[in-house]
Parts: sequence; structure tokens; C-alpha cells
Amino acid sequence: MGSIFTAGLFRQMLRSATPVALAALGGSMTEHAGIMNIGMDGMILIGAFTAVAVSIATGSAFLGTLAAILVGILLGLFFALFVVKFKSDEFIIGTALNIFAGGLTTFLLWAIFDVRGTVRTTVGLPTVDLGIIGKIPFLGQIISGNSLFIYLTVALVFIMWAFVYRTPVGFWIRAAGEHPGTLRTAGISPEKMKWLSSVICGAFCGLAGAQLALGNVTMFSEGMSNSRGYVAFACVIFGGANPQKAYLAALMFGFFDALGYRLQEYHISANLTSMIPYVITVCMMVYVVVRSNRRKPVTA
Amino acid sequence: MKKRIDWGYLASLAAAVVLALLVGAGIMLLTGHDPLEAYRELVKGATGCSSWADLLHLFTKRQFGNTIEYAMVLFLTGLACAIGARVGIFNVGGEGQLYLGAIVSAYIGVLLAGKSPWLAIPAAALGAMAIGGFYAWIPGVLKVKLKVNEVITTIMMNTIAIYLCAYLSSGPWKTTQPNRVSGTETLAENLRFSRLIPGSNLTGAIFASAVIAFLIWYVMAKTTKGYEMKLIGDNPRFAKFSGLKVDRTIIGAMAISGAICGLVGMFEVYGLKGNYQDGISNEYYFDGLLVAMIMRYRPVGIICMSFAFAFLKVGAMGMELNAGVPGELYRIIQSVIIFFLAAQSGVKAILEGKKKGGGKNG
Repeated sequence: MGSIFTAGLFRQMLRSATPVALAALGGSMTEHAGIMNIGMDGMILIGAFTAVAVSIATGSAFLGTLAAILVGILLGLFFALFVVKFKSDEFIIGTALNIFAGGLTTFLLWAIFDVRGTVRTTVGLPTVDLGIIGKIPFLGQIISGNSLFIYLTVALVFIMWAFVYRTPVGFWIRAAGEHPGTLRTAGISPEKMKWLSSVICGAFCGLAGAQLALGNVTMFSEGMSNSRGYVAFACVIFGGANPQKAYLAALMFGFFDALGYRLQEYHISANLTSMIPYVITVCMMVYVVVRSNRRKPVTA
Repeated sequence: MKKRIDWGYLASLAAAVVLALLVGAGIMLLTGHDPLEAYRELVKGATGCSSWADLLHLFTKRQFGNTIEYAMVLFLTGLACAIGARVGIFNVGGEGQLYLGAIVSAYIGVLLAGKSPWLAIPAAALGAMAIGGFYAWIPGVLKVKLKVNEVITTIMMNTIAIYLCAYLSSGPWKTTQPNRVSGTETLAENLRFSRLIPGSNLTGAIFASAVIAFLIWYVMAKTTKGYEMKLIGDNPRFAKFSGLKVDRTIIGAMAISGAICGLVGMFEVYGLKGNYQDGISNEYYFDGLLVAMIMRYRPVGIICMSFAFAFLKVGAMGMELNAGVPGELYRIIQSVIIFFLAAQSGVKAILEGKKKGGGKNG
């Protein structure tokens, strides 16, 4: 068994988990504000495309990332326009957004780069060498030398936790979801808080897309979000919209994703191993719901 | 009694379609294509007709057959979605149910090779429906008994099913023919559905589909069961207190929805492809889901709109081939229609709210 759990496995875990975790951080905001955000998958996909397209055009992975965040913010505004202003069905708009994202990115891939499938970029996000820490056996191999955003994500988890639970705006966002009437009485518009949460979520999804396309790899391929937005949503539910718990859930997804890659080296079909993280996600959803049902007293 | 046709909605739908086509034209202009030529190629691609006089031969055109075949896929998947939505559960997992139906029916066809088609085809259809129904039954039970969000579970189960089928078709159920990476054994010729228009995708499956569509419409619109489904979807608590079997109806609706998707998979194998291949459904279910959403889960509307969307999709392939515009444009146009519809009803609600001088919005 020892040979499966190598440092490489845990490095891959961090790589797989980070885009999901970033989206889940954003999703925690909309979840707190009482919006069911099914559209994260499309936002990640468009973010990934933007990151690659802009980095090819400018030769800079940072500009690509910045552009992905900006486009994510626009998508967040777009989503809020429908869900908050027009009071449209969140499920319908989110699903339409995901299908729109798939169509748009595939269309633009061909229209701009004249290719189907995949476009590669030469620039990627930098990796960080932690110096002396990297010398620690095993642990050092895992936590040193990773892509920049893997560290940034850990910092963001705590920043977002502080934002949600320790600042007035975070409090208002939570109130917008739980007691909008009370919040309005206090003179604060719950709608504005929903707009804000949606924009934050969009920015995080854009960042998640950038990490997916420029951090983990240096390319964009059709449908590369591969349901990660939905996995992120599951992580949000699993963590009760708490950033730390959502991050742990994302790490769990990342672990099983990495385990899948690792098992391929034992000549197990890639099609079978790729199923593992998704099966785990379903189990995770069932587990968390069953647990919370048990805690609550039964109501008819 | 509600009016049968909502003219106001049809008007906003027409406006949304026109606007979405304009958005499509705008995108083409931005990416350096000629939208007029592209849309002309789209019409040609969907009908196979290049002039008005050609329309006389419409029913012999290969492209027209393809359009009708895809309309069949759309109205079946769209109705499958509507059955769930009617009782308040969203089956987003039709894609996975379709894949499983396809591969199981293909495998049954391989097992029963040499047997009478009268045995093999019903067995394959039943097998496809059983596996599709079972695969939808799982999230149905999870939703009803445990309150697990069905959107997430069905989406995850799509990915799982597609990987599972890829495994089976490149592993245990792989064809023995040399030089093939994946795919099941090709079915015997006598098991294949006959083509109604030579060279096209249109097969006898359209008749079975028409019967199924009629039955679904009849049950949903004309029977007590259909009315109960609507009650449950609108207000499950009230329905429960009225003594309706809410849980059983929701799970049942989900299973039927999955069974239909499984059957669509079987039609693709026995009609079009002749065996199971990876990518047998290119997100067909999501196209059907969009149609169902746009028509607000109304059966007749879904059936009509399916033809329009099939026209768009099959035409888009012609557009891609002859005008060089990526066919994915049709998916953009489809989703933009939803956005315009939502925007219209949203703006209307805001204006009405203002007129009444009611509470302030936003």
C-alpha cells in the first residue's frame, strides 16, 4: 500500500482540488445569500477559455488570469441580473448558462484559433519554491514547488472565512439568505447583497478557470471544466457554505481524483478510475444530507 | 379553465427567437462570417432544398430526414424532462440514462444475434428502458426519501455512466473486429430499423416515438393521473394532505423519465449507428432539456418546438460544412433564447410592479 500513497499523489491532490476549491469559495458566498448557483460550471469554462486566449494574445499568464477574473465578474453580474433583478428560476438560468458556455467556448475556439478540441499556450502560472521547507522529507515534497494559486487558495480560504463571519458585509450577505426581511428593516437591501455575492462568486469561478487552464496545465480543451462546477456546488453543500469545510471537501475530491490517476499505473482502465471522484461526490452528498436530517427534529 | 394556448407567451417566444438569431448574426459578423449566407446554408442544411421548387421533393431529402430524426430525439428527451419537472423533480441525468440504454440494448442485440428480431428488438427495448429507468430511480429515491439535491446527483451520474460505458465498450463488451479501439459488435442486419428516407438518419423508430409522445401528452393532459402530477408539482404538501401518493408518483415519474431516455439510446443504436460507440449522444439530452424549459414543460409545445430546434441543429451542420461557421452556434442561439425569455418576463413583472405602485424592487 505504501507505494500508492506517494508524495506525487498528494501533489496531484492539491492540483485537482484547487480549481474546485476556488469555485466552492465563490459558491459559498451565493449559497449564504440564498442563491442556488448551478451555473458555476459554465463560469469556470469561460474563465478557462479567457485565461488561455488572453495569455496567448499577451504572452502573460497573469494578464490571462486577470482577464478571467474580469470575465467572471461580468458573468456574475449577468447571473445576478436574471436571478436577482428579474427573479428568474435559478436552475433554468444556471443550466442555460452552462450550455451557453459550452457552445460559446467551442465556437470561439474554432472562430479564433481555427482548431477543434484543444489549444495550447506557452505561458503558465509560476510555481513557488518554499526553499528550506522543500527539504523536509515527504511533506516538503508535497507542499513546496506547487503552482502559485495553490498557496493563494489556502490564504483565500481564511480570508473568505473572516469576510463571511467577521465583517459586517459578510454578516449582511448571510442575512440576505436567511432573514432578508429583517435585513431590509435594518436599512440594507438584500438584493444588493445578492448582487455582491454573485459577483464574488463569478470572480472566484474565473480564477478557478484560470488555475485549471494555466496552473494545472497550459491549455484549453473543450468542456475541460468536466462538471467541476457541480462538484464545487456539492462541496459547498457538504461544507454548509463554510469556506474551510468546503475546502476540505474539495481536497477530498482532489484526493480521489489523484488516486484515480495513480491507479492507472496499476493497469486499471482509466475509464474506471476516472469515475471514482464522481462516485465519491455522490456519496458525499448523500452522507451530508443524511447527517443533517438526523440532527434536525423531524417535521412533517 | 385556463386558456389552452398562451398567445402572450408565444409572442414573447417569437420575439426571443428573432433576437437570438440576431445575436447569432452579430457573433458571426464579429468573427468575420457572412450571417446571411450562413443562415441560407442553415436552411439548406436542414431541408436539403436549395430553391422553392425543390420543396416538392422535401420528403426524399436526406437532410430533411435527419431533421425529423433529431426532432424525435428532442421531443422524447424533452418530454422525459417534462415528466419529472411536472412533479417537481429535475432529471438532468438523461444523458447518462441514454448512454446506458444504448450500451445495454447494443449488448442484448449481440447476445441475441441469430435470434428472431421479434424477440431481440423488444428485449433490447425493455433492457434499455429498465436500465435507464433504474438509473433515474436512484436519484429519485435519494431526493424523495433523503432530500438529496437531484440536480447534483444526476449530473454526477451522467459523468459516471459515460465513463462506465467507455470502459465496457473498450473492455469486456468490445467488438472482436480488428483495428477497432472501442465500440460493441455491429448488430445483425435484420435487427436494424429500416430507413424511411434512404441515406438519412430517419428510421422506423419515429413511429414508436410518435406513439410514446401521444401517450405522454394524453396522460399528462387528459387523465386524472396527469392532473395529480400537476398538483404534486405545484404544491406537494397540499397534495400529500389530499391523500395523493406523492413520494411514489415522484419516484415513478423519475423512473419513467429515465426509461424514455434509455429508449432513445436504443433508437440511436438500432436506428443510426448499428452498434454502441463512444460519443453516441453529443449532449442530446441537454438539447431536449432546453426545449422543455423554453416551452415551460408543456407537452404539445415541446413536440412543436423540437422540430424548430432540430431544424436549427441539423441546419447548423450544413452551415458548418458550407459556410465555415462552427455549428456550435446553434447551442449559443438556443441558450440565448432562454435568456431573452427570462428577461422579458422579468422586465414585465418589474413594470407591472411599478404600475401597481407596490413594493420597491432592487
